[in-house]
Amino acid sequence: MTARTYAVGSLVLLALAVAAPARAQIRASEIGTMSQVIDGTKLTMEYSRPRSRGRDTLFGTPAVRWGEVWTPGANNATTFGVNKDVKLNGHAVPKGTYSVWFVVQRDGDWTMVLDPKVKRYHMDPPDSSGAQIRFPITPHPAPFTELLTFSVSAIRANGGTLLFEWERVRIPIEVEVQPSLVMTMSAADAAPYVGRYAYVDSSAKPIRTSVFTVTHENGTLKGEQTPADPYFRKFALIRIAPDWFAPGVYDRSGQIYEVYRPEITYEFTRKNGKAISLLLRDDTDEVSATATRMP
Amino acid sequence: MTQRFSRRHFLGACSAVVVGLAIPAGRLSASARRARRAGPHPTPRPGITGEKVLSKEQLKSKPKLIPLFDSVREIPEVVDGIYCNCGCTSPPEFYSLLSCYEGKGMARDCGICQGQGRLAVRLHKEGKTLEEIRAAIDAKFG
Repeated sequence: MTARTYAVGSLVLLALAVAAPARAQIRASEIGTMSQVIDGTKLTMEYSRPRSRGRDTLFGTPAVRWGEVWTPGANNATTFGVNKDVKLNGHAVPKGTYSVWFVVQRDGDWTMVLDPKVKRYHMDPPDSSGAQIRFPITPHPAPFTELLTFSVSAIRANGGTLLFEWERVRIPIEVEVQPSLVMTMSAADAAPYVGRYAYVDSSAKPIRTSVFTVTHENGTLKGEQTPADPYFRKFALIRIAPDWFAPGVYDRSGQIYEVYRPEITYEFTRKNGKAISLLLRDDTDEVSATATRMP
Repeated sequence: MTQRFSRRHFLGACSAVVVGLAIPAGRLSASARRARRAGPHPTPRPGITGEKVLSKEQLKSKPKLIPLFDSVREIPEVVDGIYCNCGCTSPPEFYSLLSCYEGKGMARDCGICQGQGRLAVRLHKEGKTLEEIRAAIDAKFG
């Protein structure tokens, strides 16, 4: 091999070294991020994700000892961030970022600890302090999970379920977010709107076969189209401004799962305190339909 | 049945009874589902004018939008005080909702920009103050 070949080879190796990502590294516990938005509240988990690597049992072994204050992850402590105040298993958690720790027990509930000091190594668990948020969490038996995983396994209008899974343990943590809209309305507030409204044609003549019915049921103002719409069926009328409402569609279990704002707005006009007509506007603020109160 | 179809179907069913007010297919565009971020609303810039709002000649491909752009051009001191919730804009290139009606004319294609502009124009004609218009924009689009 000539000196020239050596020189070219060295340059190629140097170029490869320079081109390689500086921080690329194969890790036993690769870094992962899980985030989820629920009604404008963003939850984020950042964690290193250990694998079982052939270990059949992890909890109650030197990997994770009973009674240990353990971060559910590896390397730097797992963090939980939230951009608005939430409740976890009914316990208030102000917006912010926390390091996450589990007090792991052989029997009964474990304890979840949210510590305000975010940057901690997994070998440096926090001592108990008044600044922490601590609450019980319940481990459940589950099929084997190879890779430590946080996910959001369920979403509702007002929250969801944050799920931890590893080895044969799964722990659901119920998340409650601050609702952006008030779904309920008192009977007195609802009374001016309740009634039947007939859609009108371009000459303002009522079309009595096409009716919008407003009722007040179980503390919620509701609307229903006739002829019935198979998708919207009877839906919630959610007040977004005085006399303005957005439709909230129910799933088959009776939970609101989507609010059509700004796509659909019902705008009522009152006379002597009572709604006498309504406009249906779309997201471009154009009128889609007009209806007047039926006698 | 997909949600979008259902939404369109629902509004179509409502509007079908009103001659001339039917919503064209596709009106309920993806723009309505873009990430939204509420305010804060910008302070109208002193001496702001509507001279940069796209003209009739620049809207040849969207003639139905000419009245809206014309209306926005007449109240720059109002539209410049409104935050655009479409999620596509960011300062400094986009200062306010007015910016969406200038330059590349995002409001030509964005239903949120159009909706906010149309609502601002309507409420201004009804005599509402900027604060009242902002409150209505937040209620519907925020």
